[in-house]
Amino acid sequence: MKTLKVLSVLLCYPQVDMQAALDEMAETLDREDLLPERERRALRAFMQRLKRTDLMESQERYVATFDRGRALSLHLFEHVHGQSRDRGQAMVNLLDVYRRHGFELDARELPDYIPLFLEYLAQRPMGEALDMLADAMHVMALLGARLAERGSDYSAIFDALAALVGEPADIEDIRRQAATEGSDQTVVNMDKIWEEEAVTFLANRESCSASRTGLREAQPVQWMPRPGSTPQPARSL
Amino acid sequence: MSHFLDRLNFFRKTADTFSGEHGIVTNEDRGWEDAYRARWQHDKVVRSTHGVNCTGSCSWKIYVKNGLVTWETQQTDYPRTRDDLPNHEPRGCQRGASYSWYLYSANRVKYPMVRGRLLKLWRAALAEKKDPVDAWASIVEDSVKATEYKSQRGLGGFVRATWDEVNQLIAAANVYTTKQYGPDRIYGFSPIPAMSMVSYAAGSRYLSLIGGACGSFYDWYCDLPPASPMIWGEQTDVPESADWYNSTFLMMWGSNVPQTRTPDAHFMTEVRYKGAKTVVVCPDYSEASKFADIWLHPKQGTDAAVAMAMGHVILREFHLDGKSEYFTDYVRTKTDFPVLVLLDRRDDGSYVNGRFLRASDLTGGAEQANNPEWKTLAFDENSGKLIVPNGSIGFRWGEKEGMVGKWNLEPKESLSGAETQLRLSVNDIKDEVAPVAFPYFGSTQHPHFACTEHDAVQVRNVPAKKIKLADGSEALVATVYDLTLAQYGLDRGLGGGNVAKTYDDDVPYTPAWQERITGTPREQIITVARQFAENADKTHGKSMIIIGAAMNHWYHMDMNYRGVINMLMMCGCVGQSGGGWSHYVGQEKLRPQTGWTALAFALDWHRPPRHMNSTSFWYIHSSQWRHEKLAMTEVLSPLADPKQWQGTQIDYNVRSVRMGWLPSAPQLDQNPLAVAKAAAAAGEEPAPYVVKSLKSGQLGFAFEDPDNPANFPRNLFVWRSNLLGSSGKGHEYFLKYLLGTTHGVQGKDLGEEGGEKPLEVKWRDAAHGKLDLLVTLDFRMSTTCMYSDIVLPTATWYEKNDLNTSDMHPFIHPLSAAVDPAWESRTDWDIFKGIAKAFSETCPGHLGVEKDIVALPTLHDTPTELAQPLDVKDWKKGECELIPGKTAPSLIVVERDYPNTYRKFTALGPLMSKIGNGGKGINWNTEHEVEALATLNYTVQEEGVSKGLPRIESDIDAAEVILMLAPETNGHVAVKSWAALSKITGRDHTHLAIPKEHEKIRFRDIVAQPRKIISSPTWSGLEDEKVSYNAGYTNVHELIPWRTLTGRQQFYQDHPWMLGFGEAMCAYRPPVDMKTVEPIIGQKPNGNKEIVLNFITPHQKWGIHSTYTDNLLMLTLSRGGPIIWISEIDAKKAGIEDNDWIEAYNLNGAIAARAVVSQRVPEGMSMMYHAQEKIVNTPGSEITGTRGGIHNSVTRAVLKPTHMIGGYAQQSYGFNYYGTVGSNRDEFIIVRKMAKIDWMDDETSSEATTVEAH
Repeated sequence: MKTLKVLSVLLCYPQVDMQAALDEMAETLDREDLLPERERRALRAFMQRLKRTDLMESQERYVATFDRGRALSLHLFEHVHGQSRDRGQAMVNLLDVYRRHGFELDARELPDYIPLFLEYLAQRPMGEALDMLADAMHVMALLGARLAERGSDYSAIFDALAALVGEPADIEDIRRQAATEGSDQTVVNMDKIWEEEAVTFLANRESCSASRTGLREAQPVQWMPRPGSTPQPARSL
Repeated sequence: MSHFLDRLNFFRKTADTFSGEHGIVTNEDRGWEDAYRARWQHDKVVRSTHGVNCTGSCSWKIYVKNGLVTWETQQTDYPRTRDDLPNHEPRGCQRGASYSWYLYSANRVKYPMVRGRLLKLWRAALAEKKDPVDAWASIVEDSVKATEYKSQRGLGGFVRATWDEVNQLIAAANVYTTKQYGPDRIYGFSPIPAMSMVSYAAGSRYLSLIGGACGSFYDWYCDLPPASPMIWGEQTDVPESADWYNSTFLMMWGSNVPQTRTPDAHFMTEVRYKGAKTVVVCPDYSEASKFADIWLHPKQGTDAAVAMAMGHVILREFHLDGKSEYFTDYVRTKTDFPVLVLLDRRDDGSYVNGRFLRASDLTGGAEQANNPEWKTLAFDENSGKLIVPNGSIGFRWGEKEGMVGKWNLEPKESLSGAETQLRLSVNDIKDEVAPVAFPYFGSTQHPHFACTEHDAVQVRNVPAKKIKLADGSEALVATVYDLTLAQYGLDRGLGGGNVAKTYDDDVPYTPAWQERITGTPREQIITVARQFAENADKTHGKSMIIIGAAMNHWYHMDMNYRGVINMLMMCGCVGQSGGGWSHYVGQEKLRPQTGWTALAFALDWHRPPRHMNSTSFWYIHSSQWRHEKLAMTEVLSPLADPKQWQGTQIDYNVRSVRMGWLPSAPQLDQNPLAVAKAAAAAGEEPAPYVVKSLKSGQLGFAFEDPDNPANFPRNLFVWRSNLLGSSGKGHEYFLKYLLGTTHGVQGKDLGEEGGEKPLEVKWRDAAHGKLDLLVTLDFRMSTTCMYSDIVLPTATWYEKNDLNTSDMHPFIHPLSAAVDPAWESRTDWDIFKGIAKAFSETCPGHLGVEKDIVALPTLHDTPTELAQPLDVKDWKKGECELIPGKTAPSLIVVERDYPNTYRKFTALGPLMSKIGNGGKGINWNTEHEVEALATLNYTVQEEGVSKGLPRIESDIDAAEVILMLAPETNGHVAVKSWAALSKITGRDHTHLAIPKEHEKIRFRDIVAQPRKIISSPTWSGLEDEKVSYNAGYTNVHELIPWRTLTGRQQFYQDHPWMLGFGEAMCAYRPPVDMKTVEPIIGQKPNGNKEIVLNFITPHQKWGIHSTYTDNLLMLTLSRGGPIIWISEIDAKKAGIEDNDWIEAYNLNGAIAARAVVSQRVPEGMSMMYHAQEKIVNTPGSEITGTRGGIHNSVTRAVLKPTHMIGGYAQQSYGFNYYGTVGSNRDEFIIVRKMAKIDWMDDETSSEATTVEAH
């Protein structure tokens, strides 16, 4: 699935070699033909912009968009676990998934960096890749909605991801959140956001005997934020 | 029917239920449990701590799994100290516990960052010029290009860069600046080395090798209490927190122990169960107040009045009317109470207290051949004679033969060695009763503080004795004790006015008098003072005062502190277990100090390094002096002649520099490398050449012309600090003048307003954007980073190896690398090593072996502290000759081999073996330690200047250098250093370290467990099995003199400037009027009511100094953005409700914040915890039109001339020891509800949607 690899590269910090490979990437998207026309057109426009714009300007824009603060952090678990201790274990688990499938991390990056994650998926069989992507789609959709809200053409990448696996069921809620969370959401909803959830063990709400019917295979990587626990970004970080 | 055949003989069935069907047995896959079980598994646990500006130094376990930090918990393996003490652990607090996710946080700086505009200019210039130095020159010498990137500071626009590229850029800027303007135009600011001393040393070693100036921090943060050097000759030395447990009367005075000293607070709460009484003095109902048996809440800023009134009670009941045998003996032998002071006659027939009588005043110098001008006198009751007792500072330096070894506190006459009993008062032998005039400041008008109507000159009767001077004239003398009784307003039956018989008399310094100023009922003052003293009398000094920065941040902080310390000295508490002065502000105690200084300031290669007092530096270079509104005549003593005391703050500072008192950076108004060359060209020695040029006026000091481009600080390194987000008093002035970018300064400068202009400083049009390059090292995108040209990603506290010590406990503690630095970050050590390498490579063609002339002020703990004994003389005014090291700074030539900077950085230089090591006035040989380091760290094999020397490649190598060279961590060195001190005191002190002589603490040892340090003469307390560390302990128990003029703790300060500014003795001085409200109030209305409040900036619970306030957990617990606390009464007046957005502003700038309306806060006061980042949840200000500022946006530094004194025993310069301090609590702000909340999201252009800092 070269398409995912292309999306991975496009979401990386713009560099000379990436700028040089833009045509090749466009061709690859056309060749694989996995994306609907609308998304592909948006990506093409995005790539055109990268090609036309002075590289350093693109880099400034990238840093300003992704390197400053939580709201648009490209680390998946920033949105799932925030500064919770669970994040460490989640990263360890994700690393395990990569290892189980024969991939060692070979960059000074964290395992939940989205371009890295996409590169891994690009190496996997399509069905499995799309399944795993679908699991993470909730975060991706939120990022896409936030980017769209800010008028950033980087949203094209997330739209493309959504086109591959479908939008999460609550996409309207996500969009509404991105549109209305506004600047001061953290402060306004501080108490609500950080309200402690009730303690549950093993997250199985059913009775003990119900487990007899057999659990699904263990699911070590959690993608969904705990209910009510999404750490909202501090304003303007 | 039998069931026999149904029964199984050899089997039993696999049960599927048990316990009567209550339980079931299941067989499904239990793999799901792995995630749960593995949750608490880990690969390793690493010991580290949080190297913030916090005195905690808490041990933490960092859990690592698959190379990732997964969580941390408190470590609980501190060694036990003494059997009667509670455990130290668990140490750590909510702030530390919330730290680990900074590692992987979205706020982390991950790559070297450069502002795009600058990088574009740089790449273009480099392509054109090829040579990096020429390229840099072509940018900064072109004003269009320079303005282009400087004006973008704070406006985002960063891009990532590689280490090679940024190192080359930085090196080019440093080489260019050194060559063009001089190495002292490169400045480094990093605070509190104790929190991560190797990281500090990395930058300061680089700067010291190239001749850059390292800026002080303790004074700039205003955590340095100048009262401590004045009274004890010691920067700050305090009991460890465990010693609170030895106290039986504990006062917390302006210190919020449970909130700001969380891991130590338990000693305070525990000792209450042992019966100790706790008293809290604090204007607001702080967390500490809740622990008080008695809570006093005087009006903020009037603590000195409380202390003076308590002193009045103590003197009356325990020194004058009632007696305490213990107190009398203590003040006689350990303080300057019996020392004699000259009374100078005034025109009106009254007298004024002058300087201490010196041996040189008497015929034949009282037979003192050496330093008679530096030996003080007293009357001896045993012999009835006027004698020179042992211990004054004259005995410390230059004594020969039989007079060596008299610098001690033995009660002996120095010549004969006869036992003495010094006379406390001359009342019994008086020749007359002299009317002495004392300055009184409590009648000074202030718009917001109460004053009384007493005369500004208070004449009180003092018993005096006539003596004959060397010139045949007669003079009157009195003891410090006599003068102190008069100053505190005690009637002792000598007649005259202005003294009180009872506590109810309305006379300055009675409990009744202070009621009007502080609002504290007199009964409370009397009760607390009486109990404090009674306890100290019965326990021999176990009354303790824990004191916080709160009282030190006022312009007249010395009075607050001296008032409190006087109480402790009167009651014999200093130097006694469970007693004394406990000032815990800033982590000032770098325990292995003398091991560290060698590494940090490259003393192994060059001496001396360039040190600078930062308060003066920032005040001058951020041009705050151009807006000065506080005239020095306002703070002068009413007894001083204003005609002789002319000039503004910067004038006093310039004079101080000229006379060799304070340092300066830059030093001369020309490149010191060029001056050395010019001297060589003229065929002259550099020092005499400079003297000649200074006298002729061809050469001057940079501070005389700070707006001349030749004198700008050009390059600035900031590391381990959030200078612009936290400590930068006068933040907006920094932005306007130093950085040359958007700012919020509202006031006009003296040029526009026509105020009092300086006399010693050339007035020019204001310069903007003085800095060519601002480089900040940090792991988070702080406010300072936002304003920097280059941001370098540094390792966090779990990613590097370092050392950490605290004044709160006696353990030395490591930071150790649990994981490698994430992303592109590097340790501070590696970053500066990389810069040093690039610098060396960039030198050829520009810098070779150069001679650098370093101007060194007269220094405390060196023979030059005896520079100017009796009078102040300015060579520039023709009052004396210009003699370097005596009447002016020493001028020392240092040879710098610039291309070899990197080799020098990475090896321990030859001076450690050649000259040895030392500190605080004693020196010892280190050859053995250098040899040991050579075997431990191995030696350099490569050819060159460093071949064969011990290597310092890694941060662990650097840590080993510190540990090996310091007496606190190497028993052999400890014994050597005590032996060195023994020679001067004539008393054998080595017994304090001999039991630990063979103990050597290595880095791996402290990684295994924190280790208790070894007692050393660097510090005045002992760390052993019998006593907790307590400051002044060795002075009291080993009879080592305090490093002051008299060798004793000094109630009295006799420098001419101390007399001129009315601070010979402690007095109450009201806060100064900063005049920043009147010109602007009501000028920019937004329709809401404006009120004026005092602006206080304490330490917070949910952030430690400059770090953490952008951590989501901490933000959550503290309302998530900038907040200002105000009282319910004030809120009502201004129609403000809790959580409203309010604006606080004055001439200095504006802040936008939410209001916290609380009963905790008294009327008229507001509090804003520092340091709340302006990059977090801060809307625009209606006043400035830019984003609301930080807490220092409404402050400005003001200097006090008494902090500029030098060449005078304890009042001599030392790095972070003496100098101007950045006080900020006298400031007032206008507060009003905001009409419109503008998040300023629209201001961002479509190109750069980054968050801007303004």
